[in-house]
Amino acid sequence: MKLKHLLGVSSALCLGAAVAQAQETNKPADFDQRLQQMQKMFEQREQALEARFAEKIAAQEAEIDALKKQVAGGVNPLPTAPAAAPDQTPGLIKELSDKVDNVVEAQKKSLPSEFNPAIGFVGETVASYRSKGNDATGSDRPGGFDVWARSLELNASASVDPFAKGWVVANASADAATGESTFGIEEAALQTTSLPGSLTLTAGRFFGEFGRLGYIHDHELPFVNRPQVLAQYIGGESRSDGAQINWLVPADQYISLTAGVGDSFGGDRPNPDNPGYYRPIGGLNYWGRASTYFNLTDNWQLEAGVSGLWNPKTEDRGGLITNGLSGFTEKERRLAGLDWKVSYVPLRDNQFNSFTWGTEILFSDSRYFINPEADIPAIGHNGTVGSLGLYSYASYKWSRQWSAGFLFDCVQSAQNHDDETFAYSPFVTYALSHWNQLRLQYTHTDRRAVSGLKPDDAIYLQWAWIIGAHSHGWTQR
Amino acid sequence: MKGKLFLVLLAAAWLGTTPGNAAKVRVVATLTDLADLTRNVGGEFVEVRSLATGIEDTHGVPMKPSFVPLLNRADLIVLVGFDCEHAFLPALLEASKNPRILVGQPGYVDCSKGIAPVDVPKSTDHSEGDVHPYGNPHYLLDPVLAKTAVQNICAALVAIAPEHAADFTKNRDAYLAKLDAKIAGWQAELAPFKGTKFVSYHEHWPYFAARFGLVYYGTIELKPGVDPTPRHIEHLIASMKADHVPLVVREPQFPEKVPALIARDAGAKLVKLPIMPGGVPNTETYVAELDYIVHTIADALRQ
Repeated sequence: MKLKHLLGVSSALCLGAAVAQAQETNKPADFDQRLQQMQKMFEQREQALEARFAEKIAAQEAEIDALKKQVAGGVNPLPTAPAAAPDQTPGLIKELSDKVDNVVEAQKKSLPSEFNPAIGFVGETVASYRSKGNDATGSDRPGGFDVWARSLELNASASVDPFAKGWVVANASADAATGESTFGIEEAALQTTSLPGSLTLTAGRFFGEFGRLGYIHDHELPFVNRPQVLAQYIGGESRSDGAQINWLVPADQYISLTAGVGDSFGGDRPNPDNPGYYRPIGGLNYWGRASTYFNLTDNWQLEAGVSGLWNPKTEDRGGLITNGLSGFTEKERRLAGLDWKVSYVPLRDNQFNSFTWGTEILFSDSRYFINPEADIPAIGHNGTVGSLGLYSYASYKWSRQWSAGFLFDCVQSAQNHDDETFAYSPFVTYALSHWNQLRLQYTHTDRRAVSGLKPDDAIYLQWAWIIGAHSHGWTQR
Repeated sequence: MKGKLFLVLLAAAWLGTTPGNAAKVRVVATLTDLADLTRNVGGEFVEVRSLATGIEDTHGVPMKPSFVPLLNRADLIVLVGFDCEHAFLPALLEASKNPRILVGQPGYVDCSKGIAPVDVPKSTDHSEGDVHPYGNPHYLLDPVLAKTAVQNICAALVAIAPEHAADFTKNRDAYLAKLDAKIAGWQAELAPFKGTKFVSYHEHWPYFAARFGLVYYGTIELKPGVDPTPRHIEHLIASMKADHVPLVVREPQFPEKVPALIARDAGAKLVKLPIMPGGVPNTETYVAELDYIVHTIADALRQ
């Protein structure tokens, strides 16, 4: 067995040696042949590469020519343009273009949707001369020369999230009666931006939509002082802590409907700056407004609205003070208003030329508890007082800087309609720029003797200025 | 049956739409040039309304409440961008209560996308006037850049109505080809006046000047949105004389008195040029507006 195995191995070795020897004798011829084959392959590959390079260079040259033409014409590559060659250039250009676009977009930082809110500050100083003191006029300000910072207002606004925006207006001003500075949050509200059905909900502290100028800040009024009817019937700006919903009626005609509820409205509570002030649900204010608009011609416009306010169980806003006792206590507050504004706003040059006539009529029908112990003067009613008041103004702008107008306002006291006040106020405005404005106004005030107050004359010089962002949006149009 | 018909009609009235318009893309453009470009791309598949009529200042379109229902129903708002419409559009969008066209939504078509602005201020301080923080927004007076706006409009239309993509693309290509031919003609017409200096009331013309080889010398306004002072007028006249500035451009929405005075005292020609279609008679389309501008400048400089 072992011998057979040994013979087998020996035979295999001999055969292997013979084959190896035979291969060794054929080596030069085989090598040449393989060399030739390799050379041929190399040449073929070289030719293929040359052809491919030539094709690629031609394609790139065509691409460069096309790009040169586009650059000369200032045209961005069409997104749907077919590629000239299977090349990466169009992709690279698009990537570069996208990067540049992103850098440009990143510069746009002032929209309210950015993280930092838009912040602005308004300063308003009023200098005046009054012919009579407050004992004769009932005004908060003394007679003679007077100067005070009526309003120093800091405002900020930003998007809260994709569904709402928010804003804050903080106001520091001199107290009209004492001269002491006061600080308060005039507005701090959130407003939805994406409710369906053309609805907008506003909640927090805000100026409720009643009338035309009730929700306009003092410094943005078209004249120096708030008309007396708004000051007396609403109590200044229509500030409220509550909620308000607005619906844009889906029709070709502009119709806006608003309804709101809040625990205060204007100056109807003893301490308006106290956000924790409690009022029972039966004592809430309810208000509403409907407004519409007509293009009379391309240049003439008419806006009109009706408003209503009701508080079934109001807080006492301070009635007639007689003999040290409050004569009246307001029990129920009812207020209705009608307003319109006719404007001439020429399309072509409205920055240099415009005219506005605005009027607002308010009817107050409040109910009072009459203190039987108070020495109430004979006023001809038994607790329900119906009073009327209105203001009407016209203003004409004849250049980018200059405008002038006239304001007439009259009001019957909400507690005694025989107590009437009339005021006549010509005014002239000089706007150095959008952000810097001076206004001079003369006011003659006439009062019926029943109030015990006397006529007076006053001159006001108002200076209002703005730094930073400032916009109250649609309501300030 | 009558009751059902009544309900259907009521619903149609409620939605403020008519069946014939239901399939069309409802587009509101802020200015007339964008409206014209959109009509050219959208063709029969779009219903386009413009807030401006053409004679307004691009920054001073009155905020009419009658615009609000239009915007409330719009599928797209097409705007210039670069803050051009800052004085009226944000408040109108707020009042329109249409979430589809708010900033960042697909319906908000900012045509400045892809355009490199010029005159980007280093500071947005108001000491520089009513500056545009993102740069000069009047790029539509350069017809080559207007082609980018056309492409942005086309992309927005394709995105909102992909079933008409082929039509929009075809219309776009046809309009771009038409513009290319017109651009060549306008460039040829103004070629002899390369290097000519001119002033204008507001800074409307830097893109136009660069495109056609003119030199934008300065503005009559002291700063954007701020009227000139007597000293500024005096300096402007003196420097125009020294530098031989032959042309004063008045945009129609600005008073003629001061530009006429400057042109007279500086020995320059005064021309009135629209800043969007409809700004002067017979310029109702974008091409007609550019035709008018180029012909008027060339005629004035030939004399």
